Amino acid sequence: MKTTVPIIVAFVAGVALVLAFFFDQRTLIGSLSQELRIWLSIVGGFTLLLGVVSITRVNFAAVRQRKEGWFYKLITLISIFAMAIPALLPSSWSPLFGRQSGSIYDWLFLYMDAPMMATMFATLAFYIASAAYRAFRARSPESTLLLVTATVIMLWRVPMGEWLFEQLPGDIPFFLNTYIMNGINMAVQRGIIIGAALGAASMSLRIILGIERTYMGKG
Amino acid sequence: MQQMDRRWVYLMVGISVIIPFLLPMTLPVSITPEARMLYDFVEALPDSSTVMLVFDYYPSTIAECEPMTIAAMHHFFRKDCRVITLSNIPLGGPTMAEAVTRAIAEEYGKVYGVDFVNLGYKANYVAVLSGMGQSIESIFPTDNSGTPLSQLPLMHSVVNYEQIAFIFEVADNATADYWVSIVNAGYGVPMGCGTTAVSAPKYYAFVDAGQFVGLLGGMKGAAEYEQLINRQGDAMVGMGAQSLVHLLIIALVIIGNLGFFVGGIGKRRRIG
Amino acid sequence: MSGIELLQIWIMAFLTLALLSFLYKDNPAYKLAEHIFAGLSAGYYVGLIWDTVIVQQLWEPLIAGKVLLIIPGVLGILMFGRFSQQYSWISRVSLAFVMGTTSGIFLVTQLHGLVLAQMRSTMRSMAGADGFADLMLSLVIVIGVIATLIYFYFSKEHKGILGGTAKVGVWFIMIAFGAHFGYTVMGRVSLLIGRVQFLIQDWIGSFNQII
Repeated sequence: MKTTVPIIVAFVAGVALVLAFFFDQRTLIGSLSQELRIWLSIVGGFTLLLGVVSITRVNFAAVRQRKEGWFYKLITLISIFAMAIPALLPSSWSPLFGRQSGSIYDWLFLYMDAPMMATMFATLAFYIASAAYRAFRARSPESTLLLVTATVIMLWRVPMGEWLFEQLPGDIPFFLNTYIMNGINMAVQRGIIIGAALGAASMSLRIILGIERTYMGKG
Repeated sequence: MQQMDRRWVYLMVGISVIIPFLLPMTLPVSITPEARMLYDFVEALPDSSTVMLVFDYYPSTIAECEPMTIAAMHHFFRKDCRVITLSNIPLGGPTMAEAVTRAIAEEYGKVYGVDFVNLGYKANYVAVLSGMGQSIESIFPTDNSGTPLSQLPLMHSVVNYEQIAFIFEVADNATADYWVSIVNAGYGVPMGCGTTAVSAPKYYAFVDAGQFVGLLGGMKGAAEYEQLINRQGDAMVGMGAQSLVHLLIIALVIIGNLGFFVGGIGKRRRIG
Repeated sequence: MSGIELLQIWIMAFLTLALLSFLYKDNPAYKLAEHIFAGLSAGYYVGLIWDTVIVQQLWEPLIAGKVLLIIPGVLGILMFGRFSQQYSWISRVSLAFVMGTTSGIFLVTQLHGLVLAQMRSTMRSMAGADGFADLMLSLVIVIGVIATLIYFYFSKEHKGILGGTAKVGVWFIMIAFGAHFGYTVMGRVSLLIGRVQFLIQDWIGSFNQII
């Protein structure tokens, strides 16, 4: 029962959406599939909240038990509520509430959350430079080929590098764009896309048929 | 050299990025065929077409993606296109779309609800992309600020993808794959893509297959588009720093490998 | 520049520099910024989902007469059963619904939109070749696609013709991954340029206002 009902739900939902591709949207199948898509969007929203509930529970427990670093966990909790509570209050009460431009929610995102997110990823530039210096070695013919290609592409994609290539004979940028990016690279990426898509399609079929059940968890 | 503290490398990178801002350098940006194709397609759209601009990037990649969306908005508004924006990114997508579109719309005197609409965000992009094929209003009953679509004049004539002339997707993740497989393949809507440099090599396959009309890759791609629409933006300004850091990293790779080989030769001599 | 705008810039600069300070070493300023970031990001989801999903997609249409929406509402609430050891099985129905519908969409779109489209383009490239160079390029593409697919096929040992083709695939893949690495470096550097641009143009630029 605990496993059978979910398998039936997955099967019915999956088959309905597959059949929808072969029926006009004005038919019963078409209307049903559209309704299922709306439901999917709504249920998808609730799944995003799962993570928030989880992080709140974990941090709350750490603060209550005064675990190591509990002060920072308290900061996390305060930040969650500082962002969430003004957004949940009706904007009719105050322009500071709700999600509109000028609200606390909007301000905290634009002037604190977004810059921090951008900075987190910006630090990757330092790490990639350090990794390039310390680990990027031409140990074998294959890795040498990878290294040389990477170097040439890095030069091609910046104006100074393009200027350098223009001093050399032949149209190197044209060669790189046509034969490397639109040739070899494109062929490999296409192979990967086809392979990954076949894998996704086969996994989808397994889920619909109830063969794949790992998403249900234990029990 | 091999044991050099990595913080010296960090310092070199930092200095390489800062110098071009203190000593500004204007560098010519060559246009790739993929960027040219995208620009030409948009340029050839009939004026007053209805287009979609999709903000599918996180704030973490704002440096690469926002110049693309800004340039695209300018291009669309110059052609008097009516623009529908939306986002499939829960963390910041609708907020960034709102910030970019409102600021630029003001420059052109465009009116919200008539010339542009921000649909905002709805969960589960698979449901959103496939659902809009039948009815946009069933997925987005209201816009980002809660106004019913029936009260927005622009949306009176837009039911689903059939009324959309072009979709420009700016993404830093795999949502572009789903736009192609669900929307372009299923409904035949022409699509262009602006993406981060990390993802750009993959999408050459979609350009070659005709699934994307063109492609902008990374900050260089954004700079190309800015040059094509004749408007200097943040991407073009960043090209100087990009050049210096690339040269630095290439030098570090060469020095690192030289040290590796010389050290290897020395070790073999000591053993032998 | 108004006082509020100045304050905004200085807050953004403080948080940016606090996170960058980790490059030197871990410190309390970095930890503070990191935890604020985690909290604000989680809080953002709450406001967004409440407004866009629960109010706009569920509640308002429900009270307008779309009674069927009770079903996804209940399915959504059942998701939270995951937090209980005893009742976690309740969430399976919701998960099965999500997985089933998504799989139904994927099954067709992945094959139609990706596999068939890409294969069609690969076959067409040889037929539509314009001149010798173009024909050679088309041949390289076809060989590259097949060699890559064979390299990633692990159900049979790479011996004989299969092994030889996989070896060719390795060479193609090394070039493609080299190009990918070059682009990745470019991408990461661009993100740093964005932050430095803010620090120099906006933050240091604001010193004039103060002085």
